[in-house]
Amino acid sequence: MKFEPTQLTSSELELQAEVRDFLATELPPGTYERALGMGAGKDVEFSKKLAARGWVGMALPTQYGGHDRTAVDRFIVVEELLSHGAPIGHHWVADRQTGSIINRFGTEAQRERFLPPICRAELAFSIGMSEPDSGSDLASVSTRATKTDGGWLLNGTKVWTSGAHENDWFVVLCRSAPLEDGNKHQGLSQLLVDLSSPGLEINGIPFLDGSPGFNEVVMTDVFVPDELVLGELGMGWAQNTSELAYERGGPDRWLSTFGIIEEFLRINEGTPLGARAHEMLGSTVARYWGLRNMSLTVARMIDRGEAPAVESSLVKEMGTRFEQDVLQKVLELVELEPSPDSAQLFERLVASAILTGPSFTIRGGTTEILRSVVSKGLGRRGVA
Amino acid sequence: MSDLFTVDPLLTETATDLFASTCDFDEVQASEAAGWSEAVWAPVNEAGFTRIGLPESAGGSGGTLTDAAEVLRVAGAHAAPIPLAETMMLGGWLAVVAELPLPDGPVTVVPGTTNDTLVATRSANGLKVNGSAHRVPWAARSDQIAALVPDTDANELFVVMVKPEDVAITPSTNLAGEPRETIEIDVELDGGFAVVDSSVADQLRLRGALSRTMLMAGALEAMSALTLGYTAERSQFGRPIGRFQAVQQHLVWGAQDAAITKMTAQVASVHAADDVLAARFEIAAARQIANESAATATRWAHQAHGAMGMTQEYALHHLSRRLWAWRHEYSTPGEWAAVVGEHAVSVGADGLYPLVAS
Repeated sequence: MKFEPTQLTSSELELQAEVRDFLATELPPGTYERALGMGAGKDVEFSKKLAARGWVGMALPTQYGGHDRTAVDRFIVVEELLSHGAPIGHHWVADRQTGSIINRFGTEAQRERFLPPICRAELAFSIGMSEPDSGSDLASVSTRATKTDGGWLLNGTKVWTSGAHENDWFVVLCRSAPLEDGNKHQGLSQLLVDLSSPGLEINGIPFLDGSPGFNEVVMTDVFVPDELVLGELGMGWAQNTSELAYERGGPDRWLSTFGIIEEFLRINEGTPLGARAHEMLGSTVARYWGLRNMSLTVARMIDRGEAPAVESSLVKEMGTRFEQDVLQKVLELVELEPSPDSAQLFERLVASAILTGPSFTIRGGTTEILRSVVSKGLGRRGVA
Repeated sequence: MSDLFTVDPLLTETATDLFASTCDFDEVQASEAAGWSEAVWAPVNEAGFTRIGLPESAGGSGGTLTDAAEVLRVAGAHAAPIPLAETMMLGGWLAVVAELPLPDGPVTVVPGTTNDTLVATRSANGLKVNGSAHRVPWAARSDQIAALVPDTDANELFVVMVKPEDVAITPSTNLAGEPRETIEIDVELDGGFAVVDSSVADQLRLRGALSRTMLMAGALEAMSALTLGYTAERSQFGRPIGRFQAVQQHLVWGAQDAAITKMTAQVASVHAADDVLAARFEIAAARQIANESAATATRWAHQAHGAMGMTQEYALHHLSRRLWAWRHEYSTPGEWAAVVGEHAVSVGADGLYPLVAS
């Protein structure tokens, strides 16, 4: 495992300045409901403005509407968006992972069909991995694809599918061949499924904070044509594992509660803060700075063609616990009775973080699974 | 260029070879009773590694503060029982700043605690210095002791170099058994002192904080590796204990503590090379992380080692006891967190993310 310190080049700093200018114009403080990192809501117009600047699908090839930018360039855009609590919900999943796996594993026809509208922020994706009986043990999914004329019939239920009620497509991990010799990792495939397909029913599951974004998706004989099998039939496990790697280690895994600290500073501007507040801020800001350095290094490693699976899992396990710690430290410092409908943004963010905080260390791979990934990697490669 | 850390890998490699070959378990263990390790000091000094970061024109080995910091990190990983930070980055540096001769042997430094009472008074023949200072590393075994001493009216700040034979020394150690002595000074000097800029006190504090950050970064990495190795070999219930999820938690958290401390320490050391005062945020943030990591990582490492780590017959204590000691040196409770916190307040809400991303 290695985390080599890196810094932004002058052209990367230019991009950072552009993004900051854009956000200062588009989202001045007080003009939008700031979100907790990637839990942000959908704002199609905002996503399209970003796309017009070339900041959606930016690491995808230009021939498919992307911009051939680096993982670090995407990191720079994403950290600014997340630290502003910008409304990124519409394009977030497609930009972070679906576009990348379609580009990497998809057929030429799939790339031509899906990537340009992803880069224009026209297509929104959900993730079809978890099932009622398959959470961390994803290879045990029981959603089945059965061969039929010209395609596949999908049957099964996906759950905790964020955004399914308002997004366009989702990528479904399913069993396309019966289990043989107990090898769960064989016979899995990923299918690109239109969320408006006949036979597909979306039922809302209220999230902890009462918001509607969480869903159950029930599929009954949903027809998926052959050309929408993503990548290679039967290679779903390897593709899915690679997809999860894109999900980990980025700024979305340590910035969720950043807005709370920033708003804490804002409401206290001009008021002298005591020693306890300075120490809380210092300990927290030091760690943001440290995590940001590590996370940036992960992006740099991706650009060098390395596969920082262990490093990114290590950052996610650490960053998501930190997101919860930040909240706790603020709660120990500030006198308030948290209320979701408080007139003050700071208090609304705190309330929202309390109610959604448990998800930080679960979504995208639980802390326990990540520890297992990291400790196996450490065993193979050592600490240094 | 995106590479931030440009220390020649050969320097790290050479230092690793040097400390690995000199700081074996028995030598580190023996140094504690003896209060000194000539077997480590002599070859490290011979190789010029005790003078890195000090200009060749002043008798140093050349190189940057970042180079010196990297060597310290490696020394920390091997629990090197010598006043390397003092000679290279603190006491030796004070001599150079004051344009006083750099001694040949170990140079220690008065770290400056709130209980210290050193004062200077100009006299007809030179400078009278008296008072006491605490926690001076290897004072009795040093060639010279460097101290920053204000005059009685605090209008001037002096660097003063005194010989251990000219002061009264009361032995004391830190938690790792490293000498941290109390000295009583009552001398009149006709040389070996010079007035320095008042910012030197601040610089010394930051350099001291950085030195312990580097040592801790090294010790944390070594401790993580040691724990990983032990849990892979030690079997209970028919399998290596490192395969148990509960133990994996200790391994992963320890590796994280090591990784974030090393990364931030190295970043801070790069910024410090240009201007220590301008690197106040980075040094304070890295030091805060090192302090927090030392507290948690020693818990995880000891828990994973079980009874094996409770003895002085196994190497873990060479690292964990140093971490427990070093986190209190050049650091009072809340000191570095407050520096970072005040910095955050000064940049304000809109400046906060740019600070994090700086």
